[in-house]
Amino acid sequence: MRILISTFGDGDTEKVLCAMRVLPYDQLVLVGPESIVDCDGYRILSKLEEMSGHRIETELVESDDFMKLVDEVSEAIERRTAYQRRGSDCRVMINISGGGKLLGDAALFAAFRMGVEAYHCDKTVTKLPVLRGATAKDMFTSSQANMILGIGDTPKELDQAYSYANSVSRQASERVIRELRHAGLMRSEARGGRVFIQLNDAGLEVLRALRIAKSDGKHG
Amino acid sequence: MVVVFGTLGYRPKSLIPTIRSTANVEKVVFYCGADKNEPNAVKSVAAAKKEVLDYCNGMHLSVDAVELEDPFDFKNVALRIRSDIRKHKREKKEIAIFNIAGGTRPTSAAALLVCILEGIPTVYVHDVTYEEIHLPLLRIEYANVLSAEEKEILRFLMKNRTKDMTEKELADSLGKHKATMNHHVKNLVADGVVRLERHPQDQRKKVVRLEESAELLLGEDA
Repeated sequence: MRILISTFGDGDTEKVLCAMRVLPYDQLVLVGPESIVDCDGYRILSKLEEMSGHRIETELVESDDFMKLVDEVSEAIERRTAYQRRGSDCRVMINISGGGKLLGDAALFAAFRMGVEAYHCDKTVTKLPVLRGATAKDMFTSSQANMILGIGDTPKELDQAYSYANSVSRQASERVIRELRHAGLMRSEARGGRVFIQLNDAGLEVLRALRIAKSDGKHG
Repeated sequence: MVVVFGTLGYRPKSLIPTIRSTANVEKVVFYCGADKNEPNAVKSVAAAKKEVLDYCNGMHLSVDAVELEDPFDFKNVALRIRSDIRKHKREKKEIAIFNIAGGTRPTSAAALLVCILEGIPTVYVHDVTYEEIHLPLLRIEYANVLSAEEKEILRFLMKNRTKDMTEKELADSLGKHKATMNHHVKNLVADGVVRLERHPQDQRKKVVRLEESAELLLGEDA
């Protein structure tokens, strides 16, 4: 199964057609706001898909907050890449040239976050240099990932945090915290004689990527 | 020297707040351009460019306004920005932030791509509130995910992209053992930066081909 995901907005029919011509696919998924289903371009693409015996899948994304939009596109990608990890013969590609600027940029960000094959299809087709195995979730050990997931969105007391890494010793947990601090993912502060640690923005980005990966693991 | 990079479209207010909010800024580099067949777009971009230049001059900041030949050409815009970023890094200038809010869709996406590849702090400005939204990039320099040997192989393939090179020919050209080359090529295939294709003349052999994306990964000046 080859899945082509494309960002889409009113007036982007040519961009999606370009992606459809260049990238062989079995299933077309359009990502965009709710209004796309009423536009002429959507009707043209639907008709073309029907002629080939298929139907368009649509992922509606509505947020005007950049990072929420990244999360929504990431989740749409994750639902499709789940087949890949379950061992099915599945290839997922994303074209980021359609939709508004915010959606296109969010899709590009999500492609790197999720490590999927990505393209910018317009007058010319450009393959983006997304490296497999260089995503947030691939770059951390299981102890580091457990620590990040354990800390979560809110500050945690350092003594409590040692247990999150599931390490064999306290020294090993301390090392995990040092590594994450060194990677620029967390900060700490003293309050009332106790030390609290918290993920910063970069750490929260890793947390989001890990949570998306983990939620799929549960469902799969 | 602290430098602010940005993309600019019709709205100077999408870029100026970032210049204001960056500490110790001394230089501003911004990219702009419009569809030359759209006189209104050309006029609006020129007006925005003038306003940013006036602001920078008023603040006594050094400024480079880069007029893009084709602001809709994603790849060439990305290569141009990448080359400028690399040049500033080589000159030991501190790139404080890249504002990707303005410009055409391909220009903004190209700028974001470069920021991801080069690990540059990136900011978006909200369309309505002009609030700055800092993107949580991981500051991974993606080109550095590859080993020095892998980059050497990619550079060699880039220079010899018209030739059909097998793994053995690559190994001989770069003075490496065939097994070592096989190991590196396998890794590069797994990373998705090269692919193996049948040799056009000899079906028993395989040619190592560079994916187009490798050029963007390494940059033209790699």
